[in-house]
Amino acid sequence: MHGQHTNGESIFSLVNPIEALSPELPLEEVALLFADARNAKLLSLPVVENGRPIGVISRYHFMNIYLKQYARELYGKRPLRGFINNTPLLVELDQPLTEAAQHVTANMQFPLTEDFIVTRHGRYLGIGFVMDLLKAMEVKMRANTTELEQAYSQLKSSQLALVQSEKMASLGQMVAGVAHEINTPLGYVQNNVAIGQELFSQMQGMLNTYEVLVGQLLDGDADEEQITAQLQIAAAMRNDMDAQEMLGEMNGLMADSLYGIEQISNLVLDLKNFSRMDAAANDLANLNDCIESALNIGRNVLKNKVEIVKDLGALPDIMCAPSQLNQVFLNLFTNAAQAMETQGTLYIKSWQDAESIHVSVSDNGKGIPPEIVSRIFDPFFTTKPVGEGTGLGLAITHQIIQQHGGDIQVESRVGEGTSFHINLPVGQHSTQPSAVIHAAIQE
Amino acid sequence: MSKPTLLLIDDEERILRSLRMLFFIGYNVRTTTEPNEAIRILREEKVHVIVSDQRMPQMQGSELLRIARETSPATMRILLTGYSDLDASIASVNEGEVFRYLMKPWNVEEVKKVVAEAAAIAEASFAVQSHTETVADTTGAKPRVLIMDHDEATAHTVHETLGDRCEIVWASDAQHAMEELAKQDVSVVVSDLILGETNVGYILKTIKQLNPQTQCIVVTSFNDTSRLIELINQAQITRFLPKPVSKGILARNLESMLERFHLVRSQPVLQKRQAVEPISNPQERVQAGNFMGMLGRLRARIGA
Repeated sequence: MHGQHTNGESIFSLVNPIEALSPELPLEEVALLFADARNAKLLSLPVVENGRPIGVISRYHFMNIYLKQYARELYGKRPLRGFINNTPLLVELDQPLTEAAQHVTANMQFPLTEDFIVTRHGRYLGIGFVMDLLKAMEVKMRANTTELEQAYSQLKSSQLALVQSEKMASLGQMVAGVAHEINTPLGYVQNNVAIGQELFSQMQGMLNTYEVLVGQLLDGDADEEQITAQLQIAAAMRNDMDAQEMLGEMNGLMADSLYGIEQISNLVLDLKNFSRMDAAANDLANLNDCIESALNIGRNVLKNKVEIVKDLGALPDIMCAPSQLNQVFLNLFTNAAQAMETQGTLYIKSWQDAESIHVSVSDNGKGIPPEIVSRIFDPFFTTKPVGEGTGLGLAITHQIIQQHGGDIQVESRVGEGTSFHINLPVGQHSTQPSAVIHAAIQE
Repeated sequence: MSKPTLLLIDDEERILRSLRMLFFIGYNVRTTTEPNEAIRILREEKVHVIVSDQRMPQMQGSELLRIARETSPATMRILLTGYSDLDASIASVNEGEVFRYLMKPWNVEEVKKVVAEAAAIAEASFAVQSHTETVADTTGAKPRVLIMDHDEATAHTVHETLGDRCEIVWASDAQHAMEELAKQDVSVVVSDLILGETNVGYILKTIKQLNPQTQCIVVTSFNDTSRLIELINQAQITRFLPKPVSKGILARNLESMLERFHLVRSQPVLQKRQAVEPISNPQERVQAGNFMGMLGRLRARIGA
């Protein structure tokens, strides 16, 4: 923390120990004091009785009186008491600087004719110049601004880190899910290839035996016994293994393997489409494609648990950040799956009207209690156990939708389910949503 | 001798076709995508080995294996899954009591070896089952329980539950555990995965190699799926209880594992059902080797 002073010190540093005047002092002596070069800086002089300030006399007010014709003769011997401003600006020594400044600026007069009196427990201590007080305030404000700026930049970088960690968490989950899903086709493809290899070498052995036999049969010089022996070997082999059946089975396994490889390719393609690592951040895209892409990626979480009902209307392409919208939908789908205690239905509908594209994502899960429904978009709000949710999923969803110029609403009934409704403007403005988000984080 | 029966369950038919082809020479292979059909087969036929997928629409594999355990206890249970999630692996230990937890994609030779081993053990189990009543043997030396957990609550529950019947040893570190093991085998081990600074995985694996009768309960807050899978295959831990574990649950499991110990001691064939795989982690292999060596020397000294 910079620029942190204790407040007492601040006021103390402003005190000028000017000798106070007695109220009984005749005006002609006051005139001499104002004329004294040592007091040239002073706008006003304090008047103190029994150690307590009772007023001030300002140079301005004094001149008004004393410069009149015959004033010296008329008032010269009169005591000061009758001419002072008896409501001077008072500041206690231990008053916070900000409070003192507020008090002084609220009560000072223009043009500035008086400075303020500093007291300690009500007793006169000295004069404080208003200009010094304002300067001190300015220094303090500047320090505050620096602090604020630092706090802001710290907040900004931690927000960036959190957004990043939420992204990584959902990405990690997604990659783990898809990787696991690849394991099944990979399992049988690998097994089939191993079986094929084994079968291949058996077939090779069989073919060799047959070839020798055919060679012997074609060779006029081969003797009968050799041919009989070779024939027995071949027959035994044929007996051991039904080559035709094996090849038939293997044919089926080959077809399965090709299917499995296609499955794997599709999964890899899903990942690629979802992350859009090789595509422009902003692109013309169709929200229905984003929904499908998120469904493909989330299949691992959704399958066996969630029945998906889609009612996707024809939508125009819009300029948007597709990878971010993919993230939005995946987040809503996985939340819905998590809200279902056993099985459930996820209803996804999209449609358009004159101004907007609408998507609604509804589940028949356990619903959100009314007391927390207003907080679900708040950053760090989570109902998951510590360590399982960052509480940023829906906050980021909200941010992404807002930065696309759209809006997301939630409706929920405990025991019945939750429905999210997103609308995005059709004529996407020329702003670049992703750049906006980027800038919002960077600034 | 007829071929052993192998029952395969997976919701992906291509997995079933592929595995059928792998095993059709040595086995009578039955396949189904329906867990309920698998239960029917288990009830009506003599099945040596069941290999089940974990994630299926109608039923989780660990649940199917739990039913298999009740329907046909001699059948050896293997889980073959592409998903390594913690809940599934915990359920496969505690409920399914699986012989092996295998991952997709699998190693062809390894799967062949595991299934062959399982089939042989099942055959022996069936033979015993057909002509002996299982009577738990509660005679013999007083059972010993070894605690490797700094958590006092664990020790307290063990004392309260088994204190009247067992000698209870609370080992503060690996060295202490070794000294106790050198004196005499233990019947039940209750262990965390971390003891002070030591990762005790290798000790659990060594204990099971040393004495297959020992029943091992892991109580831990250290939830790591891949390490759990290793402990299933290489230490045949019989229970995995995530901390905090309620007193009642731990007590119940202690009782059933002590009972299991007596049963296994009286029927040597049951020991084989908990046969372990060699330790795969090279560092743990070295640690286990050293442990065995030191234990041997300690035992020789005590014996002499």
